[in-house]
Amino acid sequence: MPASPPKHVSRLAAEIVAALLTLALGIAIAAGARGDGVGWGTGGPQPGTFPFWVGVIVAAASLCNLALAFRRVDRHARVLDAVATRRLAAFGVPLLLFVAAAVTLGFYVATILYLAAVMRVQGKYPLWMALAVSFGTAAFFYVVLEVWFKVPLLKGPLEAMLGIH
Amino acid sequence: MDNIALLLHGFAVVLTAQHLMLMVAGVMLGILVGVLPGLGAPNGVSLLLPLTFAMDPVAAIILLTSMYWGALFGGSTTSILFNIPGEPSSVATTFDGYPMAKSGQATQALTLAFLSAATGALIGVILITLLSSYIARFALRFGSPEYFAVYFLAFASFVGLSGASPFKTIVSLGLGLAFATVGMDTISGALRLTYGFNVLVGGVSFLVAVIGLFGIGELLVTMEEGLRFDGVKARIRPRAVLEAARTLPRYWLALARSSAIGCWMGITPGGPTAASFMSYGIARRFSSRRDRFGKGEPEGIVSPETADHAAGTSAMLPMLALGVPGSATSAVLLGGLMIWGLNPGPTLFTERPDFVWGLIASMYLGNIVAVTLVLCTVPMFAAILRVPFAIIGPLIVVVCFIGAYTVANATFDLWLAAAFGVAGWLFKKTDYPIAPLVLAMVLGDKAEDAFRQSMIMSRGTISIFWANPLVATLCAIALTLLAWPLLGAGWQRVRTARRGPAASADLLEE
Repeated sequence: MPASPPKHVSRLAAEIVAALLTLALGIAIAAGARGDGVGWGTGGPQPGTFPFWVGVIVAAASLCNLALAFRRVDRHARVLDAVATRRLAAFGVPLLLFVAAAVTLGFYVATILYLAAVMRVQGKYPLWMALAVSFGTAAFFYVVLEVWFKVPLLKGPLEAMLGIH
Repeated sequence: MDNIALLLHGFAVVLTAQHLMLMVAGVMLGILVGVLPGLGAPNGVSLLLPLTFAMDPVAAIILLTSMYWGALFGGSTTSILFNIPGEPSSVATTFDGYPMAKSGQATQALTLAFLSAATGALIGVILITLLSSYIARFALRFGSPEYFAVYFLAFASFVGLSGASPFKTIVSLGLGLAFATVGMDTISGALRLTYGFNVLVGGVSFLVAVIGLFGIGELLVTMEEGLRFDGVKARIRPRAVLEAARTLPRYWLALARSSAIGCWMGITPGGPTAASFMSYGIARRFSSRRDRFGKGEPEGIVSPETADHAAGTSAMLPMLALGVPGSATSAVLLGGLMIWGLNPGPTLFTERPDFVWGLIASMYLGNIVAVTLVLCTVPMFAAILRVPFAIIGPLIVVVCFIGAYTVANATFDLWLAAAFGVAGWLFKKTDYPIAPLVLAMVLGDKAEDAFRQSMIMSRGTISIFWANPLVATLCAIALTLLAWPLLGAGWQRVRTARRGPAASADLLEE
């Protein structure tokens, strides 16, 4: 898209974010492990010893990655431009909404809503087809998991109201 | 010769109607998972694993390994027909597979790919049959320090051999080890790294991590890069299959060389992806028809496919004999063994010979079943990819999250899988390797236990790791591998300084 060249995330920025994220995790691991005791206890190393040093190593390696990012990464390389961001959002946002729906409404209701909405809004399918696919999928999972494998899925208020458990 | 007798016993265990049906089901599910983008072998096996918790271990491992074989074959199918690798390890197959299919030789390309893959897998299984019980017997002498050295060696070889940035590999390994320690400590009973959150007391399941990192992460990358299926028509003509099969012996050198590379990379945790790339690179370098590579050269299909499957199969050898997996999928399978109450490693051979040899026998049968099924069902599975992604994409999302939930029936795992998905996307974009993280998560507890027991044995002095020749050798190899990227970089700098920039350009090209 030549019209909007400045709107992008550079590779360097992504590398820095990744390195800072793992650095923070490394520090959090080491700090958390310190509370469990780092050193020699009665008859062996205390439980925090191993994770503490793992955290230190992660933090140190993250610093190396951070330094290498500035030295090695091509300044013009990109990871995301406007088009890719839009595509990512179009897929990622409904995905997160699906997780939120699954946690609150249960898997079956969330699956039906998610599939039907994505097919209708993004796929531009006729409503009857979107409903057929989404209800069919939910029914398929119910038969395979609950009936066949006896694995219960998360259920929400609707199932409780209908008395399905 | 007693291995042969045990193998025959294994066939007796496997050859029941129920097991053969599971094999067919596993292969079909595997091909499906391999064909669909975002669902690979490690992820597919993770999704199916919770459903096997209540199954008999022999039946469960047959189902899951058959799925693994099916996924490996399915990945090659999309590489050739759609130029989209269904699996990272079949990327190298696209280089010549897709051009060959486009020039109207789709049947030949697929047949060559499947048959050479089966050859590679067969050589891998033969290697397992011959070597596994010797290695297991040798490993019975291992104590805690030796085990820690073996785990250390597995981690170090990722750093030394994977080809990714060594510091990124270390970060990935370290995060995996740290995630493995979250929750109740098995030795002291203390709660570790829970930061006061009750949801973390049960720990972070490696299955949720695999589903997030491999499944959701892969899907996000696929969607963001804008997926296009420009498929080649897939109609399998039986006569063309036979003709292509007849040309296979012509590539005996490529088959032998690629099998050797594959077996080596599978046993050391280099993994199938590295094996297939390496095999392709070497085939191109030594071929007399070098300029035909990338334009539909059959040898360019045979080489990566053979190495891919040889590596995928022989990755089971260290998993069975030592309890150290050689690939992400075998790491997941190893986790499965522990969940089914089996203790992977050398004692498995003496305690559960029916399981071990049943599994090895099922590898022979599973691969035959997989080749046959994949040849018969290619048109059907290729048709699945013509279903628009507005339907397929969300369906895969639903399957992934249902899989994450069934691991422990915990709603927190859904958010965790989503978080791992975002992390997986970022890792993919910045070239952090993901397989080491999974391997470290599965092996973390065992590595830590071995370390702590060694420390107790030695009363806290680290010299126990070079106290006898065996453990010293293992540690020395591990340290060499760890330092390998540094040594390699130094060597390259010396060469570049001596021969000018042309030499480094030459290295980059390969």
